[in-house]
Amino acid sequence: MTQVRIAVLSGFGINCETETMAVFEMAGGSPEKVHVNMLVNGDLNLDDYHIMAVPGGFSFGDHLGSGRLLGNRLRFGLRDQVRRFVRAGKPVIGICNGFQVLVKMGLLPGDEEVTLTQTASLALNDSAHYENRWATLEFDQNSPCIWTKGLTRIRVPVRHGEGKFVTSDRELLDQWAKRGQLVAKYVDPSKEYPSATDEVLPYPISPNQSWRNIAGVCDPTGLVFGLMPHPEAYHSTWLSPDWTRDEGIEHGRAPSITIFHNAVEYSLQSKKET
Amino acid sequence: MNNNVLRVDVLPRTGSGLIDSRALSTKKILPKEIEINVKTIRTSLGYTVKADLTEQERGNAAKDLFSDPIIEHYSLDGSIAAGLLPDLGRSDITIQVGFKPGVTDNRAMAAEDGLRTLFPRRKTKVASTISYHFWFGNNTPDIGPIIALLHNPMLEQFAILESDRRIEHLIPFPVLPAQNTRKSESIDLEVGDDELLDISERGLLALNLQEMKAIQSHYRDPNVKRIREKMGLPVDAPTDAELECLAQTWSEHCSHKIFAAKIHHKDTETGESTTIDSLFKTYIMKPTLDIQKEVDWLLSIFHDNSGVIAWNENWSLCMKAETHNSPSALDPFGGAMTGIVGVNRDILGTGLGARPIANTDVFCFGPPDYSGNIPKGLFHPSRVFRGVHAGVRAGGNESGIPTVNGAIIFDERYLGKPLVYCGTVGIMPRLLPDGRESHDKTPTPGDIVYMVGGRVGFDGIHGATFSSLELTEDSPSSAVQIGDPITQKKMLDMIIEARDEGLIQVITDNGAGGLSSSVGEMAELTGGADLDLAVVPLKQAGLSPWEILVSESQERMTVGVKPEDCESFEALAALHEVEATAIGKFTDSGAFIVRMGTDVVAHLPISFLHDGCPQLELASEWTPPTHAEVILPEDSQMGEALLRLIARPNIASKEWWVRSYDHEVIAQSVIKPFCGVNHDAPGDAAVIAPIQGQTQGAVISNGIIPRYSDIDAYAMTAASIDEALRNAVCVGVDLDLIAGLDNFCWPDPVESQKTPDGRYKLAQLVRANRALDDVCRAYKLPCISGKDSMKNDAKLHGEKISIPPTILFSLIGNHKDVRKAVSSDFKTPGDRIYLCGESHQELGASEIAYMLRDETRGQSGIGGRIPEIDTTRNLALYRALTEAMQKELVSSAHDCSDGGLAVAISECCFGSDSGARVDVSPIMYDCNQIEPWGAMFGESLGRILVSVKPENSEAFENSMTGNACYFLGVVEAGDTISVNNGDTKLISTSMSTLRKAWKETLDGGGPQ
Repeated sequence: MTQVRIAVLSGFGINCETETMAVFEMAGGSPEKVHVNMLVNGDLNLDDYHIMAVPGGFSFGDHLGSGRLLGNRLRFGLRDQVRRFVRAGKPVIGICNGFQVLVKMGLLPGDEEVTLTQTASLALNDSAHYENRWATLEFDQNSPCIWTKGLTRIRVPVRHGEGKFVTSDRELLDQWAKRGQLVAKYVDPSKEYPSATDEVLPYPISPNQSWRNIAGVCDPTGLVFGLMPHPEAYHSTWLSPDWTRDEGIEHGRAPSITIFHNAVEYSLQSKKET
Repeated sequence: MNNNVLRVDVLPRTGSGLIDSRALSTKKILPKEIEINVKTIRTSLGYTVKADLTEQERGNAAKDLFSDPIIEHYSLDGSIAAGLLPDLGRSDITIQVGFKPGVTDNRAMAAEDGLRTLFPRRKTKVASTISYHFWFGNNTPDIGPIIALLHNPMLEQFAILESDRRIEHLIPFPVLPAQNTRKSESIDLEVGDDELLDISERGLLALNLQEMKAIQSHYRDPNVKRIREKMGLPVDAPTDAELECLAQTWSEHCSHKIFAAKIHHKDTETGESTTIDSLFKTYIMKPTLDIQKEVDWLLSIFHDNSGVIAWNENWSLCMKAETHNSPSALDPFGGAMTGIVGVNRDILGTGLGARPIANTDVFCFGPPDYSGNIPKGLFHPSRVFRGVHAGVRAGGNESGIPTVNGAIIFDERYLGKPLVYCGTVGIMPRLLPDGRESHDKTPTPGDIVYMVGGRVGFDGIHGATFSSLELTEDSPSSAVQIGDPITQKKMLDMIIEARDEGLIQVITDNGAGGLSSSVGEMAELTGGADLDLAVVPLKQAGLSPWEILVSESQERMTVGVKPEDCESFEALAALHEVEATAIGKFTDSGAFIVRMGTDVVAHLPISFLHDGCPQLELASEWTPPTHAEVILPEDSQMGEALLRLIARPNIASKEWWVRSYDHEVIAQSVIKPFCGVNHDAPGDAAVIAPIQGQTQGAVISNGIIPRYSDIDAYAMTAASIDEALRNAVCVGVDLDLIAGLDNFCWPDPVESQKTPDGRYKLAQLVRANRALDDVCRAYKLPCISGKDSMKNDAKLHGEKISIPPTILFSLIGNHKDVRKAVSSDFKTPGDRIYLCGESHQELGASEIAYMLRDETRGQSGIGGRIPEIDTTRNLALYRALTEAMQKELVSSAHDCSDGGLAVAISECCFGSDSGARVDVSPIMYDCNQIEPWGAMFGESLGRILVSVKPENSEAFENSMTGNACYFLGVVEAGDTISVNNGDTKLISTSMSTLRKAWKETLDGGGPQ
């Protein structure tokens, strides 16, 4: 069987690499823990991987803004490798702190030329503090995002203090919406699907008061995807916050595994085509 | 200002969908804590940068590193820091806060790292600040209380900026006054007894006369003199480094002298008069060693940084709980943060290195609504609470270790010293790739000693000895530090990789006593060590040899590496950007030798260092205290009483605080801190499935009930252990694989002028230990690790505040299949409710007794029968119940503890968002002399409230045969909780009203 190699970045306070590797493995991929410095010093080369994942964590303690310092390491220290990877049409995911990294380094929402120019940010939650709670997400069915294909609505934990997606240019926001780049939104789980809306939902349905309830975005190609919530933390049914209330529960993998499965399948497919 | 100094300040943009939420949350705290309202607050973060940068580079640094172009403004001239804001203009007043020189500044260190990315090879130095900009409107308040609230004078400095030339008054770059490197000195011990004690007190050595004399006589030994002469050391007297090293090693904190003491114990009630040779050996070690003979899963107990149990064939688990009380009193944030990252290092330093996978946090504070006098030098309990919580949050979250379980207890006596218990669970593969068992250290003489992680500084000198003294106004600020979780996380990643590559022979953390303890302890394994302090990396110049030796600067591990592995070890450190320095080697010379370059500054025989401390002899005497009895209101008052009880801080929901801990990182969390349909009902124990995708689990729980020691510390201890086990039973623990941790926090129990009631306090300790022995044996619950903190007194302006004797009992156990774990919330209307376990009229020292005492200003007492333990009965019941859970007959299970059955029923209903109809007459009928208040609010041990589906109830009842198990009623749709005693109505109340009261007390609020 063809192997899909996934570079799961680690180091400097990234701390979700273990479970991120685990879900890629559950999804049929071959994840490897890759310390950022191994790419910088040439021990490893990003070109040898098919997918790159920037996991959650507290890189550099979130000092100077979450994701800023690690984003700079990638933007300045690994600029060529990262741009080559993205332009080669390989999937990239950033989760939580990893999403913050991709946004701060300008890879998300991004542009066709991969100029690495920051156009959005993740501000401090309106509650001004870190929170761990579960949220419900809906996905834009017209999005080019390859990671979220086939997903309508999932539940996931959020665990962050800086997750309010904002931008300084509202025109860009409309443009991203039109292109399906605003792919994941917080929704009220008590409402029928589909219920995604641009009007900011009350706390804690929207845990951070993100603009347009944005939880995750993709780049114009749909290959680079990032989100604040943690789909990798809900890999098995027994990890939901209320599974003990589900009488007929059939235990096994949880739906959010699909995200990782999609990327592995996509990579397999593109390997076949080339 | 030097033109090498750059000031970058960043201010959150506001308006059109953006807010300065940090400022708004400060604005919210001011009226609550100091009764000051202000019109507007803004905050900005500042960086004072010493670096050689061109004009353009400065701009790049501001744009690419310090500020976020989308959401922040920046200035390069100090104007934002001084309150001259680009959007709002000039503030009425700005208070700028920065660290004092020498204090750990994490944000600044991150900035230095960021500058290295932008300008490689450029030397930079950064200090961080924060500015609070105020607009007061019409009434300008007193600025004093605001300043006091916004900074901690022990660690921080401030500037008030209000004049026209305010930029000139910004805090200058903090620089430690230049220190000359001081040489090692000798200390003459050929002096009188008073002078010996003076030396101990002046040097913060915390050594008593007997110990000082033991040291004195060591230096009179002709053999010792001979060796010293040869080494070029002062012949007749210890060096400062030696004396300090002995003081650290022999400190109560490190050597547990009270637990090792010979105690003459008297009991005036029974006439008992006995001598106990070491509480630890008699009541803690002995039962565990006896249990060890019967089981094969106790891999490593007592001697390492944490206890290790075999979890399955491939993995072992370890656990440790620590306290960080004194530092948390002085600097709640820094003290608590170093507490949590410190206990993480205990796990990392277990065996050949374990990975921390779960934290537990249990805090004891003064009441958050305390309105009495706060002695000078102490913080208000709510500030301590907020600071400790923030410190543990930052320490745990930034390290990527979930906080899975905990508790918060309030009592006025914690005003002087808060208790901050931090626990960590670790996991390690039983065998390393090279075939070694990971729980065993394998040092050999010749191994190189590495110091890994942080550097050594003035911060953290004398933590161990200081915590062995009572807290006073003069307590040194150097004993307080701020943790640096990211340096530690990098080190942790590196150490685990080094372990798996087989590069580690021995490892321990640098906590209390610094290198003197870490190297000194490990030197015992090989029979010696030789250390050179001159090569130890320092944060700042000017430390004398003894300071380098004992400094407790954080984030450091000491590792022994074979000479042939050093190159790989250092390469791994470089990859992770972790500092690792070879500072000596392990030997079999029989001595711990410390050098400063070519000079020997200490030569301590290992045997004297570790066994030379004389055993204490102490006296204890037990006379049971007397208390006025509880005066119970009319039965008709029960519903109202429940509403007030459930809102008491000890029972109220801690959700707002707990949600800001990450409890789900590592993706293993099966039973979370909160459960139920709205995820807001309290869970009992945590269940984690640490190997992703697999279904074997671990259970982590805690028991703590300090108020019982007001009547009897035996009952307090027994109840704490039972609570920990009960919580674990509630989620379905495997009772054949459970282990415990005893963690004692006591007021000074040594009789002296300062402590006239020492004998009683020591008798309480004896009784607590006896309970530990009795209950742990009966439950087959070995204690694999423990900790004691024996000086939890504060003296301020002549007023002594002692904590109530407190034990935290933590438990780690196996869970065979997490898919069968049970949560506390009632599930479906119609489910049948049972109370498992016997109830008695046990209201002595119950939460409701304290409530009634507080409400009647002491007319009603806390006296009465205290919950008594029947371990045989309880264990049989726990076994039957966990078996029923294995058969999936139990829908919910919740511990009956603080507040008794009434609170338990309410909490289970919160989880189902429903009511319940209950009749307690089966309890009344079956149990002797019980009255309705006792049934509803008594805290009898061994009780668990469960619910069962109607179709499972027969099988459930059968499986509980032979155990007390009472059918009480059913879960009902709607909002009414009703409790009857036969035909008599006791309580009929609205669940949502109760829930609102329960949630409100400690709620910190939502978005601004």
